[in-house]
Amino acid sequence: MEVLLIISLFLPTLGALAIWVGAAPPRQTALVVAVTVLVMALVLAGGYRGAERHDGVPGEFAVIDDLGWLGVSTPWLDIRLSVGLDGLSLPLYILTTLLTVVAIIVSWEEIKLGPRAFYGHLLLLETAMLGVFAARDVILFYVFFELTLLPLYFLIGIWGSEARQYAAIKFFLFTLAGSVLTFLALLAISFWHGYNVGRLTFSIPEITAGLRARPMEFSAQLAIFLGLFAGFAIKVPLIPFHTWLPLAHVEAPTAGSILLAGILLKVGSYGFVRFCLPLLPEATVACLPWLVTLSVAGVVYGSFVALAQQDLKRLIAYSSIGHLGFCMLGVFSLSRAGVAGGVLQMINHGISTGALFALVGMLYERFHTRQIAAYGGLARKMPVWAFFMGLMVLASIGLPGLNGFAGEVLVLIGFFQRVWGQSQCPPEWFTYLAALSVLATFGVVLAAWYMLWMTERVVFGPVRLPVARGKNSEDQSEPPPSRHPHGVDSLGTESHPGENLWDLKPREIWALCPLAILVVWIGVQPSFFLRMFEPTLSYLVGPAERALLRRLPAEELPLGAFVHFSRSITSGSKAQTPPESFNDCDFDIGNLFESRSTVLGWARHPEAIIRQTQSRNGGLLSEGCAFGSSSPHASVMNPRKRLSEFEALIAAQCSGSTDLGLTRE
Amino acid sequence: MTTIMIDSIIVIAIAGPLLGSIITAVLGPRFLRDRSHIPAIAGVSVAFVASLLLAGYLCFGLAGGDTAPRSPESADLDFGISSDFAMGIERIVTLWTWAHVDQAYRAPSLPSVASPIDRPFAIAVSLRIDPLTVFMLVTVTSVSLLVVIYSIGYMAGDPGYWRFFTYMCLFVFSMMMLVSVSNFLLLYIFWEAVGLCSYLLIGFWYTRPAAAAAGKKAFLVNRVGDFGFALGVFLLWTAYGTLDMHDTHLVPGILGETRIAAGPSGFVGGTLGLGICMLLFLGACGKSAQFPLHVWLPDAMEGPTPVSALIHAATMVTAGVYLVARCAPLFHAVPEAQVVVCLIGTVTALLAAFIALSQTDVKRILAYSTISQLGYMFAAAGLSTVTAVAAAMFHLFTHAFFKALLFLSAGSLMHALSGEIDLRQFGGLRRKLPLTHLMFLVGGLALAGVAPLAGFWSKDAILHEIAEQENRLPMASLVFWGLVLGAGLTAFYIFRAYFLAFWGPERLPESSGGYVHESPPVMLVPMLLLALGAVGAGWVSFLPGGVSGLLQLTPSLVAVGGEQAAEPAHLEHLSFGPKHLHELAHHIPVISTAVAVGGILLAAIIYLPYGRPLLTVVWTLTRGIGLYALSYGKLFIDEVYEGAIVRPLRALASLCSTLDQRVIDLRAVDGTAQAIRTAGQALRTLGHGMLPGYALAMLTIVVLLLAFMML
Repeated sequence: MEVLLIISLFLPTLGALAIWVGAAPPRQTALVVAVTVLVMALVLAGGYRGAERHDGVPGEFAVIDDLGWLGVSTPWLDIRLSVGLDGLSLPLYILTTLLTVVAIIVSWEEIKLGPRAFYGHLLLLETAMLGVFAARDVILFYVFFELTLLPLYFLIGIWGSEARQYAAIKFFLFTLAGSVLTFLALLAISFWHGYNVGRLTFSIPEITAGLRARPMEFSAQLAIFLGLFAGFAIKVPLIPFHTWLPLAHVEAPTAGSILLAGILLKVGSYGFVRFCLPLLPEATVACLPWLVTLSVAGVVYGSFVALAQQDLKRLIAYSSIGHLGFCMLGVFSLSRAGVAGGVLQMINHGISTGALFALVGMLYERFHTRQIAAYGGLARKMPVWAFFMGLMVLASIGLPGLNGFAGEVLVLIGFFQRVWGQSQCPPEWFTYLAALSVLATFGVVLAAWYMLWMTERVVFGPVRLPVARGKNSEDQSEPPPSRHPHGVDSLGTESHPGENLWDLKPREIWALCPLAILVVWIGVQPSFFLRMFEPTLSYLVGPAERALLRRLPAEELPLGAFVHFSRSITSGSKAQTPPESFNDCDFDIGNLFESRSTVLGWARHPEAIIRQTQSRNGGLLSEGCAFGSSSPHASVMNPRKRLSEFEALIAAQCSGSTDLGLTRE
Repeated sequence: MTTIMIDSIIVIAIAGPLLGSIITAVLGPRFLRDRSHIPAIAGVSVAFVASLLLAGYLCFGLAGGDTAPRSPESADLDFGISSDFAMGIERIVTLWTWAHVDQAYRAPSLPSVASPIDRPFAIAVSLRIDPLTVFMLVTVTSVSLLVVIYSIGYMAGDPGYWRFFTYMCLFVFSMMMLVSVSNFLLLYIFWEAVGLCSYLLIGFWYTRPAAAAAGKKAFLVNRVGDFGFALGVFLLWTAYGTLDMHDTHLVPGILGETRIAAGPSGFVGGTLGLGICMLLFLGACGKSAQFPLHVWLPDAMEGPTPVSALIHAATMVTAGVYLVARCAPLFHAVPEAQVVVCLIGTVTALLAAFIALSQTDVKRILAYSTISQLGYMFAAAGLSTVTAVAAAMFHLFTHAFFKALLFLSAGSLMHALSGEIDLRQFGGLRRKLPLTHLMFLVGGLALAGVAPLAGFWSKDAILHEIAEQENRLPMASLVFWGLVLGAGLTAFYIFRAYFLAFWGPERLPESSGGYVHESPPVMLVPMLLLALGAVGAGWVSFLPGGVSGLLQLTPSLVAVGGEQAAEPAHLEHLSFGPKHLHELAHHIPVISTAVAVGGILLAAIIYLPYGRPLLTVVWTLTRGIGLYALSYGKLFIDEVYEGAIVRPLRALASLCSTLDQRVIDLRAVDGTAQAIRTAGQALRTLGHGMLPGYALAMLTIVVLLLAFMML
């Protein structure tokens, strides 16, 4: 496993070197290397053992930890070439290898100028991206993080369209400005850990474990958080740090757009999950309203701007901003469902947006324009293209049964529970976050609007093809434009294959098929993928979630919320009478709170339980709950004093097991 | 019949159309071509037969005593109504886990105790078998089968033949899943899936700009409703901690036995309950085209006519009624929500009937008629008692037959007239198209509610429920008389269309070239069968116990049956007018028949040739006071939406786009870069290479530092 990881990580670099020195034909070598790496990644995934622990970290595997940095490992500067995968990085690792293959196939005929350099840069970019996700060392992470910039800078600057130079330099400088601050913040975390917790180390798992045990002071967390935020927010990108993105997308070659949208944006959200949530929980929680605001702003604002776009690539670029907004909303909901949904949304966005860019690239390759107004009725001329386009558009707007829905619904479930649930967020945030939650859901409507409007104009309606403007001589060999470019027929002609001269070639269909399969698979059975994230995410999210719950004022604790339908009561019998003793309650650790409050209620005032049962406010909410008031949560029926008596009682009941968590971890 | 067989029957029922769809999609374009209907019809037939088996299982207890723990003990034909089944009949078939996140719902406990409440977010693909579901399954599959057979003739020769049957099968599958799933999130999934099929089928002839635009409009308006539905589902999750309808070992379901046993307190009431109900109802309004989200349905008539008959009249649009019926306990806990549902239903019934009065496109008249009839169903379903819900479902059942029949007759007209459907272009066709004429007449009589046709029984059932339960509804008399007036309008507009199309002097559209032909048998036979349904579907109510006898074994309806229903809603402050409707209850057949016959006679007087002078008078009158323009212009709701919502949002979009490029990018981002460059330029002058200058700067700094340290 470990060997496989290291080979798959550096094989693309070797391939790039081979191509550069001219020892190998560029396209074919690149494809072979990329496919090999994809297969290796899949084999790696087969070795993933879920919750199995490595050095106390759940979900890590294929870890290589003993290589010093460039062969030198000194005790005072312990930088290591440490790589490994876990439940968070593994899916992104596989996605990277897959999208690289797609990018290479899509560029097969598009790139005519300097293929040697192009494919070399593409493979180097793959190593850099894989490295970002595999790195277990802060310095190594940063090296790979920066290494992604260079090849992409060249890809955009050399093989892009008209304004490529401007786009490339803007992308480079913008990202670099943020990542320098990120680097400082990462160093600060390492040094703080070195001075306050243990030895100076740059190992991410070690720092994570260390800071779990001994969190930083709040002020330090906040300062460091701002540094990390600068780099990651630009990378994601969150509004208003996003303006490099549409430009870079529009100017980049198709392969660049695919990898930029599919993988490189995820580096930012990956950074938030990997570093901010576990290492800086209090700061994350303190900034939560701001972060959520930026995420929702991304969803709504991105959608609005997309609605006004005339250029296909620009439209998809702005839709990316909306999708990443959803993704970050899930991450910042700090709930398991939300974060899982956010990570799933990273994958989903990589697949569907990557495919959309590939599809637009195929169109551009044929007609040399990206203007929406130039096209119409492509479903008749290019039915296969239209099928994939329709599928990806539907996936992108979150149609149930396809992948986008699974991610969005988990994100929104997580966020709604955080806002509207009982004892989930500080009451002073409630009104604001509730408004944002509705706004975020409304973003789904907007997404459908701009995507379907684009589809209506480009895919459906009367046939309209732009006249192919040949840039160079190769274009002359392409099929001639339709004899009746403006011919309007009430019925489709899909039964006449001879007319579909413009449609996709087998090579292009092969590139899109795996993405289409994934779109359906994730949509129909997201549980397969959620199970992959689970152990790692609950480890990474735990600190921030606890930090959030700690912010709740004491009176928000749901002592009064007797859950009279709790499993502990109903599982045994449906009897409506109180049990005789504690032993009659199905007392389990996961439901300790429910059981305890129930026990408390039964024992002290059964009449209150009965009153609750009879009140019109049933379910999980107690009588005092008021919808929309400043405190949506359960009212308090019970002072702490009475509880403390029972605390001892329950502790005595449970004395058999010590792992009850009766004390703070 | 063993349990496993029952379980597999529902799986087979639903798998049939799915397989049919897949096979048609794979083999259609290359091999099947004009035989693409074969897998489709096979799939839907399987679904139909299996649904009938399930209905038999529920009605006659084919299963015997050992199957479901609470199935009818004997086959003594008492329709399972027995005190032993206080909780109803329910079987759950779980297929696979869709999503599962551990510890998704965490709440803190005391500061001294770190262990919080944990609840998983678990969504399993579970199907349920209960009377409500099976009732819907039978309705859906029977109409679907007939419409799909009809399509063989109607769609013959269309280049997208295989595509049509693929979509239709996909629709039948999605609709069956929609009514069978036992989880609100999955319900939402298939809610959107039927919307997708509708989108694809409305835009089936996508090269027509009107069809593409109508498809998009339908999808978007539905999305607005779904936005409400989604919010409702999220609030259900936060309020109940689960999205399953049935009890699971983890947590009691939203509509599960545990809550039903607990009575009204088992369901969230108060403002949160009202919010949930209203949001779910918003979703229902979108799908069932209720005011103010009804605007998409008339445009949806751009699709092929069988699609209009099946999806936009008989089945998909009734999903909203199903949702309200399924969630009856939730609405029952919130009296205010019931009032809103009833009123929206009544208002929609009246407005749509009013608009239908003056339309000239037969399919649009039928579309508005569908909207209006769905309003009737909501008016009853909103009462949320078992008998009222049964009345709504009964009307849903009969409506499916006669409305599908009317649409197919309209399709037969179009088929005969080469696609022409505008009433101003043709007339007097009763001799040329005798069978179509007869079918349309039967459908029209059933819709108008003439005894003993189907519409009569179910419409009366609705009026009867509203009169009987006036104590539960503050504005009962308003609703009642509104619906009676609506019945009169209904009879008038459908017979206006009938007389204009089939009576009077014979007129043919120019496009038909004078050649008019009756449809082939493959179209006429399904119409004949539907006509039998339109005549006889209402006689279901003569079964022992009637429709409510069938449905009251549904667990979720058990919660709103019996003594629960008798309890009046606590909304005295809203009520007005004397309570006298229940005295009228026995005279309802007379009232409704009088109103229906009156409407028909009025239409006959005005639109038959000898009524020409009267027609002129009516025209002048209604035009004079603007009523005609209001009705013909569909109350100008589309225009209001265009002006008040679509345009402002588009303007906002271009504003955002400008802001993005001109302000954020140009001013903020490039501005920063420019500022840095300017600063660099300024600093460059310092590095001028003259030693005295450097020395001076150094000296100044040293002096300043010294001064700073000394002070």
